[in-house]
Amino acid sequence: MAHRALRTLAAGIVLALAGGVLAGCSSGGPAEVRFHLSKPEAIPYFRDLIREYNDSQDDVEVVFDTSSNLQAGFLRGNPPDLGLLNYNMEMARFMERGALSDLGDMPEAERIRPDVQELVDQYATYPGRTSVLPYSVMAASVIYNVDIFEQHGLEVPTTWEELLAVCDTLQAAGVTPFYGTFKEPWSIGQGWFDYSVGGMVDVAAFVEEINELGTEIGPDSEVSFQQTLKEPAERMMQLAEYANPDAPSRGYGDGNLAFANGEAAMYLQGPWALGEIAKTDDQLKLGTFPLPMTDNPDDLKVRVNIDLAAWIPESSQQKEGAREFLSYIMQQEVMDEYNAEFLGFGTTTDAAPATDERILAMQPYYDDGRFYQGVTKAVPLTIPIDNLLQGLITGGSVDSTLSRLDQEWARLALRQ
Amino acid sequence: MTSDSTTAITTPDASTGDIRTLRSRKAGHRRAVDPIYYAFLLPALILFTLCITMPAVIGIFFSLTNSIGFGDWEFIGFTNYVAVFSDPAIWASYGFTFGFAAVTVILVNVIALFLAVLLVSRIRFKTALRTVFVIPMVISGIVIAYVFNFLFSNSVPELGAATGVGWLSESILANPDLAWLAIVIVTAWQAIPGTLLIYIAGLLSIPGDVYEAADIDGAGKRQQFFRITLPLVAGYVVINVILGFKNYLNAYDIIVGLTDGGPGTATRSIAMTIVTGFTSGDYAYQMANAAIFFVIAVVIALAQLRVTRGRSVL
Repeated sequence: MAHRALRTLAAGIVLALAGGVLAGCSSGGPAEVRFHLSKPEAIPYFRDLIREYNDSQDDVEVVFDTSSNLQAGFLRGNPPDLGLLNYNMEMARFMERGALSDLGDMPEAERIRPDVQELVDQYATYPGRTSVLPYSVMAASVIYNVDIFEQHGLEVPTTWEELLAVCDTLQAAGVTPFYGTFKEPWSIGQGWFDYSVGGMVDVAAFVEEINELGTEIGPDSEVSFQQTLKEPAERMMQLAEYANPDAPSRGYGDGNLAFANGEAAMYLQGPWALGEIAKTDDQLKLGTFPLPMTDNPDDLKVRVNIDLAAWIPESSQQKEGAREFLSYIMQQEVMDEYNAEFLGFGTTTDAAPATDERILAMQPYYDDGRFYQGVTKAVPLTIPIDNLLQGLITGGSVDSTLSRLDQEWARLALRQ
Repeated sequence: MTSDSTTAITTPDASTGDIRTLRSRKAGHRRAVDPIYYAFLLPALILFTLCITMPAVIGIFFSLTNSIGFGDWEFIGFTNYVAVFSDPAIWASYGFTFGFAAVTVILVNVIALFLAVLLVSRIRFKTALRTVFVIPMVISGIVIAYVFNFLFSNSVPELGAATGVGWLSESILANPDLAWLAIVIVTAWQAIPGTLLIYIAGLLSIPGDVYEAADIDGAGKRQQFFRITLPLVAGYVVINVILGFKNYLNAYDIIVGLTDGGPGTATRSIAMTIVTGFTSGDYAYQMANAAIFFVIAVVIALAQLRVTRGRSVL
């Protein structure tokens, strides 16, 4: 494998050299702005938008780039001129090292909700810059089958006790309360663990503190995985008891199909699953509610992630053109239309509210800023947290899994 | 796989004595070499240097830094190496990979040799059967893995439930203690044909009169196998074991398609941990891991050279 990896690297270097040569050949005419977007579902939408924009003026020619490797692009100083993609820890690294330019002076930056902009800063910041503008937010919580709830006379639970009561009622009636897809580690991290932790713990504060602790994290530190997250993890294990018995061998696709066929009442997935479920049954009545983890309904929160965020690299030669196109796609009606189509929530103060029945219930939480970013997303990918959680949920021990996370965290802090 | 097939082609004709005399003749006879040979050598040399040697050197260089693949970096000496040695996740991946490779290499060689003996004996449909057995070799590993993933997750449990066999009705891929077995089975399924071909070549190179003589002396089939066949294909066994072991240490695609390192981290191979260095900004650290793995590969390659030279198969 060492060889294979090295060969890939070599191929990258050769391509980089070739790319450099080609880039030097670009000629006059309208400024060519390379626009990077990789969310597969959204490609047709933005392709139309680009065509409209290119036809409407002659100064800027936007070129759609849906496939280039970002890491390689930044590495060789030839990143796309404008990026619009999922914002996460990996992306934050580019920002942290100053690779993204300041967009704070754009009028569009003023329109972003401060508490949404704050989500960007939770991963990393660069002094004096607003390098990333959130474009669309996805809110995720428990997806539930409205008909099954009604058949058993169940209300949406708002406390931990009520949640357990709902599960017991369903189970007594022979209905599987939760559909688990434990074969796919990400679904455990995203749904089961993030919801459990987010419902009990202030995730942003926790992440900030463990980042400060670094190598000091451990059984005796003030916050740690093994202490702070112990209770949520134990409650998650309790809920996992209510999942389908074959959950360990079911994947995401199996889960969508089974849930669409009414094989379970609740599903710990994000809105991206709604479209997949609709492929099987688009008449199914579905709703969402935040997973209650405490006895206080005020603690209810939804999990959010910045599904699309815009940035312009510092090394771009076409910053002006990129900014113009960014202003174009950040017009309020364009953003609203996008969010309506892809079940997203607006990031600006004047955004239109969600209209889709299935995610409507999350709007008030989103409006009030009662949301968190998943704790698993704050752990660098090099720590296989989703896999460790898979080991936990399929029969591991809470204490040893969480202390293993502490150790991994400390080890990573030591070498980076 | 390519290395397997080349040995398969060259070995059967090169009877041991010939190669030795050829070598000694060459060594004793120095004469001016036509420069055109070097010219022909040059493209390969340049490509190899550019695509293999240079990246390796660059990688080892970066393993001494704290680079994340781009941006600023600084030298941190051997910190990454120290960290690699104290990382239980990496130890676990080495433990899994070596254990997996050892089990697989034994299973593959026993089955392949058994099939090879059958396929060179006087049976009907020999050619058709040989073709059938070679098919797995030409299918891509990731495709095989996804097909078997479906079989293990759905078909086998259903079969188990239908027949009432309890241990079959749960997916083997979801069991942290048994998932590695699934990987062994699928890897063996794909690797047996290549090994089989080498054994068939080896068996065909044994002259028939040895068996005739054994027959006359009254040796049974069993005795013939252990006293004649096995010693005469011993060189091929060594080749297959060493090449196979080296290949299985690089296990990647089949694992990604089957378990993706799970359940938990039970089946993460060395190659998989190294790749995380590229995908998750742990570049320098995993370069250190790759460098260590490279040294191990070199040691195995040297051992292979020594052993095979002794056996005079290559």
